[in-house]
Amino acid sequence: MNWPGFYSLGNAWLFVLLIPLIIVYFLKLKRPRKEIPSLTLWRQVINDQRVNSPFQKFKRNMLLLLQMLLLLCLILAALQPFLPAGVEQANYTPILIDNSASMGAVDQSNGQNRLDIVKQDVLELIDNLPPDHRMSLITVSSSARRLTDFTDNKRVLRDALAGIEVDEVASQLDDGLRMAQALVRTVRFDSLLFFTDGNVPADVEFDLPFELNYQRLEGQGANIGVTSLNARRSSDSRWDIFVRIEGTPYAQTAAELELLQDGEIVGTESVLLERAADDEQTIPSQRLAFSVDSVGPSSLELRVKPDGFDALASDNVAHIDLPESRHLSVYAPLNLAAFRHALGARPDVDVYPTDESGQPAARYDLLITDTTGEANPEANVTIYVGVIPDDLSELIDVETGSGEVVDWQRNSPLLQHVELTDVQMADEPKTKDEIRDGDFEEQGYEILAFGRTGPLILKKRQGKSLAYYFLFHPDRSTLPYRVGFPILVANMVQAALDHADLAEVRANRTGIIAGQTLRPESHYVVETPDDQRIEIESNEEGLVPGISANRVGRYQYRESGDLVAEIGASLLAPAETSLRSIREIQFREVSVTSSDAAIETDQPLWPYFALAAFAFLLVEWWYFQKRPGGVPV
Amino acid sequence: MSDSAGGVQFTSLLDNDVIGRIERMRLNPSRRLTNRSHGEHLAGKGGTSTEFSDYRDYVPGDDVRYVDWNIFSRLNRPYLKLYQHEEEMHVAILVDASTSMLFENKLLRARQLAAAFGIMGFMNYERVSVHVAHQADGEPRVMPPCTGRINFKRMFEFLESIEGGGDAPIESSIEAMLRRHRGRGIAIILSDFLSMGNVQRAMNMLFSAGLETFAIQILGPSEIEPEVTGDLRFVDSETGGTLDISSAGDLLGLYHELRLSYEDELALICRQRNGRFMVLNSTDSVEWLLFDALVRRGWIQ
Repeated sequence: MNWPGFYSLGNAWLFVLLIPLIIVYFLKLKRPRKEIPSLTLWRQVINDQRVNSPFQKFKRNMLLLLQMLLLLCLILAALQPFLPAGVEQANYTPILIDNSASMGAVDQSNGQNRLDIVKQDVLELIDNLPPDHRMSLITVSSSARRLTDFTDNKRVLRDALAGIEVDEVASQLDDGLRMAQALVRTVRFDSLLFFTDGNVPADVEFDLPFELNYQRLEGQGANIGVTSLNARRSSDSRWDIFVRIEGTPYAQTAAELELLQDGEIVGTESVLLERAADDEQTIPSQRLAFSVDSVGPSSLELRVKPDGFDALASDNVAHIDLPESRHLSVYAPLNLAAFRHALGARPDVDVYPTDESGQPAARYDLLITDTTGEANPEANVTIYVGVIPDDLSELIDVETGSGEVVDWQRNSPLLQHVELTDVQMADEPKTKDEIRDGDFEEQGYEILAFGRTGPLILKKRQGKSLAYYFLFHPDRSTLPYRVGFPILVANMVQAALDHADLAEVRANRTGIIAGQTLRPESHYVVETPDDQRIEIESNEEGLVPGISANRVGRYQYRESGDLVAEIGASLLAPAETSLRSIREIQFREVSVTSSDAAIETDQPLWPYFALAAFAFLLVEWWYFQKRPGGVPV
Repeated sequence: MSDSAGGVQFTSLLDNDVIGRIERMRLNPSRRLTNRSHGEHLAGKGGTSTEFSDYRDYVPGDDVRYVDWNIFSRLNRPYLKLYQHEEEMHVAILVDASTSMLFENKLLRARQLAAAFGIMGFMNYERVSVHVAHQADGEPRVMPPCTGRINFKRMFEFLESIEGGGDAPIESSIEAMLRRHRGRGIAIILSDFLSMGNVQRAMNMLFSAGLETFAIQILGPSEIEPEVTGDLRFVDSETGGTLDISSAGDLLGLYHELRLSYEDELALICRQRNGRFMVLNSTDSVEWLLFDALVRRGWIQ
């Protein structure tokens, strides 16, 4: 049995108040005189009363007794008694709250979403927070956010808790756990309370130095939503739109789909997702394809209209922005005849320079060059052939010899379907002594093809631009004469198309909207779907930084009130849409199972004493004012 | 003294119209407790009243004035007509004028009732006497027995002159009254009967004296429905004695039990001695008491 404890034992001096209460009671006990015709009956009453009521003395001072009980209850309430939970509690309690998109799911008919229910549980913990205990609130969605330091200020905790909203992003549990890991280095705690609906990644790649108390919220609301949306250009003016619809595995779901292009419906479909036969193991899904005409830039919006109850609303809409259709601009010097010849076969590619006096293009998507320096025009994707980057001059030399390809990354977009076996080359890149592959990676290069003495093809990403380095010159190799050469050039073109978003577009996911290229050194205001305003500045190159996008919808970039860009963000998270809940989180060495037991906390008793004091007050009032008993009507 | 119509008001105790109605009423004793002196009450024995009783054969020596000559002329035999004897009844009214009767118009109501009973007595040629008790050891003030309507004014003046105050217990007052009273009839006791003494002994003496007891206990609202709470110190109005009461509200139930049982006891004492008892609230109107309550109980008719 746990004996009650007291948080404020220092208030025990209040018991001294009983003394003045008793003194004042008896001092004030001055009987008012009342003249009556005769004492005859009253004397008889007193005599009978003494005979009939052995507790007369007790009853005589009933008011004093009630007042003492009232005061005792108030003093005990001031002592803040509590019933210990039976376990030793840590003084510091971090609470990790999942506020990813699935926490916005509504499972009950009262309209409360999962986050609201969790907030009620946490609020109860805050209300019962012992005076010498401190609590810290952390939220985790796609990233973790620490809302409060360890504090015992309940108002601060309540305000922070009330401010938590659902982020319409996929959950990344790792972030929150790592933040808790960082906290434990500054404040010692043994347990982390994690409130979630269980819709989190099942595997965590590290272990925790503290216990994870996994509080999983049960929920079985049916849901259907869009989890994938991308577009691929099928011709100069036509795009194929690919959609994936998924639903919860434990219920049959159905929906009507509407595809809107710039606000007008251009396609509708019906979807019926059967309940998974093996229950929660397989996620029911369906792929759909639409075809739309689009020459200029246009915005597509896919709306899912569920037929029946739908737990999660944020996955019922997705946005994708189609770019303006145009030919790919490729610059290849005239001396690279093999490349120009291969490029000339592509109808969607404009090869520059067209002739010796031709006008250069405004911008280039692909540059193929065998020289370095500022003479080369700028392009998003650059293919250097027979060029050693300046920063690799210390690592590699090119010797004349007989080189050949030993191995290459066949799944690389540049080299897929390209057969490099038996390609002979006069240039033989040779790695200097004591230089390893890791040294190239440290410089930011990825080796795509290996020769006998060193790397042959390298890849490097610099900001938004992409560069491939052929350390040998194809003109001094048998590569242009191989069947794989046109395929290689086609892969180059495809890489440029992908980089320019001309061939395939994927819908942006919520979380972060990547930086955009706008007018240099300008002030922009981004209006978010939840009516927030984010002010950003573009740098001298016109690049504005990426912004946090935790809401599904369209983000409008405005300059002096004028709309200059609009980008849609969609949830597109299969895990969130499925609302699948995991019972166990697997860490690197241990696993944590969700706890079914409610969290035990010290039970404060002061409200009961306060209630008892109020009851005694009412009884005293009633006793003082009551109609005498036994009076005939 | 004048009434609202401009006429003379006989007394401040009762309105003239009430007096007029009372004059047509009479006391209704359950027993014939009369005196030998001539009066208005039939004595159950032969007499000289106009109330026919019976016939009997004439015997020599009978007063020939009572021979029924009509029968003699038809039967040729003398028969004597017998008449009932009407005797006088005494009405002794005792008004308790102690200090306890000064509360809540109790004494006023007692004086009004005494006046009403006196009027009934005078109008029926009873011998009416009024006794007023004040001090415990002193003799009551007395209006000597008298009869006839001519004594209205005398009685009204006597009753109007009563001033309350004193500590006379009712049983002592009854005994003092009986020391002076002679004659059988009715004793009307108007008191609150709040006495610690032996009322039973006084009632026995009334019965022995040939007086049928009409006991009327007059209580005020504070005695019938006391509204007291908390801790109080009660002070006796007559003796000045005090009694401390705690949680008076709790005792009211017991108070009512005792009051009702005391009333029952008084009623039993009176009933066992062929008397009558009733309790009046001093706030009840005298008209209601006279023309409704007492009539329905058969005290007057």
